[in-house]
Amino acid sequence: MSDAHPLIQVKNLDLYFGSFHALKDVSVDFHAGELVGLVGDNGAGKTTLIRVLCGIHKPSKGEVYFDGELVTEFHPKLAIDQGIETIQQSVGLCDNLSIARNFYLGREPMKKIVGIPFLDFKQMRSMSTKVIRAFGLRDNVSADDEVERLSGGERQSVKIGRAVEFKNRVVIMDEPTNHLSVREREHVNELAVQLKEQGLLVIYITHDIFQVHKLADRVVIMENGEKIEDASTDSMTAEQLEEVIRQGGRLVEKMGS
Amino acid sequence: MTSTRQLAKSAGFGSVVGVALMLTAFTLIDFSGWWTARTISNVVHFSSILALIAMGQALVIISKEIDLSVGSVYGLTGIAFITFEHSLGVPGAVIAALAIAAVCGLLQGLAVVRGGLPSMIVTLGGLFTFRGIIYVWTGGSVRNFSEAARENWLTKLFGGEVFGIEAAVLWMLLMLAILSVVLKFTRFGNHLLATGGASDSAESRGVRIDRVKIITFVMCSVMAGFAGIVTLADQPQTHVTIGDLLELEAISAAVIGGCLLSGGRGSLIGAVLGAFIVTSFRYELIALGAPSSWFITFVGVVLIVAIIFNQKLARWAGHNV
Repeated sequence: MSDAHPLIQVKNLDLYFGSFHALKDVSVDFHAGELVGLVGDNGAGKTTLIRVLCGIHKPSKGEVYFDGELVTEFHPKLAIDQGIETIQQSVGLCDNLSIARNFYLGREPMKKIVGIPFLDFKQMRSMSTKVIRAFGLRDNVSADDEVERLSGGERQSVKIGRAVEFKNRVVIMDEPTNHLSVREREHVNELAVQLKEQGLLVIYITHDIFQVHKLADRVVIMENGEKIEDASTDSMTAEQLEEVIRQGGRLVEKMGS
Repeated sequence: MTSTRQLAKSAGFGSVVGVALMLTAFTLIDFSGWWTARTISNVVHFSSILALIAMGQALVIISKEIDLSVGSVYGLTGIAFITFEHSLGVPGAVIAALAIAAVCGLLQGLAVVRGGLPSMIVTLGGLFTFRGIIYVWTGGSVRNFSEAARENWLTKLFGGEVFGIEAAVLWMLLMLAILSVVLKFTRFGNHLLATGGASDSAESRGVRIDRVKIITFVMCSVMAGFAGIVTLADQPQTHVTIGDLLELEAISAAVIGGCLLSGGRGSLIGAVLGAFIVTSFRYELIALGAPSSWFITFVGVVLIVAIIFNQKLARWAGHNV
């Protein structure tokens, strides 16, 4: 499951927003070919942690290693260039742009006409059409339609389809099955497992411990900005993990003492 | 119906309707006064100069910022062009003047992006600062071109006529073509639209929204400065109030042309048509014998009507604005 050195290693990470201590001394390893569930209540720090990993937040203290190298600069562009794809809940799509433009935003294919690079609309259209059809968007939605036309589920499908299409080394999914129908949810979960089996690291954030327990190799539980549990799904049942969340870490402390 | 709705999706559609309505009205009210070669030529000339500024403004508005300094940058660049000619010659003066414009845009862009400040305040500061520099630099005096400089080929190229068409019009059309292509068909254009539409999402996809905004401010200032050069190449005489209130006309033109202040949507053709509407009102009001001060009132009314109209139009076409 896991090879010698972790693909992403987070060491003693602290993050402050002003005086708010959002992440407290978090250390966690993620390996290639692993599907890790990141679980916790609202405000536990899950999303904040992955926002560090995808370059949006710079840690106040502590270190992040990617593929053994210390990360010194944090920007979404650098994360994407390194092969970290993130599917975020509230951001990722621009309503005013077409599906095709959104699909390739930040990595536009170019075509040179008399030496000047222009957007390669043909490729943008054909690739994004393929993906939205595979994800079962309504037939009357075309790649040239603006994203504002789409339903919540369709928007999510575009984001996931994009991440899968450009998959590199890491796919981070933040509550990927919110707003999705049962069928869509199953499809997304299948994809997450497929990506893992292809050797990618998949970090799957959710509230639903029962759902992620079925998929994940390992579950990391966060509470109040701290990591309170990090266990393989073989060693703990979903019920036990749920109890950890319910106790908010107190159980762990008790067991430790 | 559906095809009209499709058409209305493009941001410049409202201004096409506006121009049609305005021309119909002017024809009915004042046919003989409006449709003369002299009026039309003047209106088109000054529309073109305003349109150059309005296009730059449109880009900034699309990025969800605003630039109130364009009138002062227009004046400062124009004055730099005339003043530097004595020491640098016409070509050198053009380059130096445009460099000054670019620096104005760069400084304001940096303040907005790096300082995290609202562009309305930063560029309001720019408006006063650059106007102040004009006063100090010229000491309120009027500056002129020498006879040789007036006859320079570059002066003619910016201010003269080509095949009987005024250079300002041709420059405007050229810039319209270039900027439209940049906005719709290049990576930078895609990033600009994304930055204005949803900057968080754009950034999460790796778009350098800070760079996009700074470049847009520089483009806007250079366009305003270029308009100043075109104006003074045609009439090479400066005065300290040159470009006063031009920022308001430029913003009006961009907004009448369908730029939404909520960002991410706008049209360069719309900005040009908006500039045509604003300039036409100025001429027609004078032609009808209204006191020239009425002009601003009219621009105000047209602006408000246009905002309401463009917003309703966008909603009708199915945009979430």
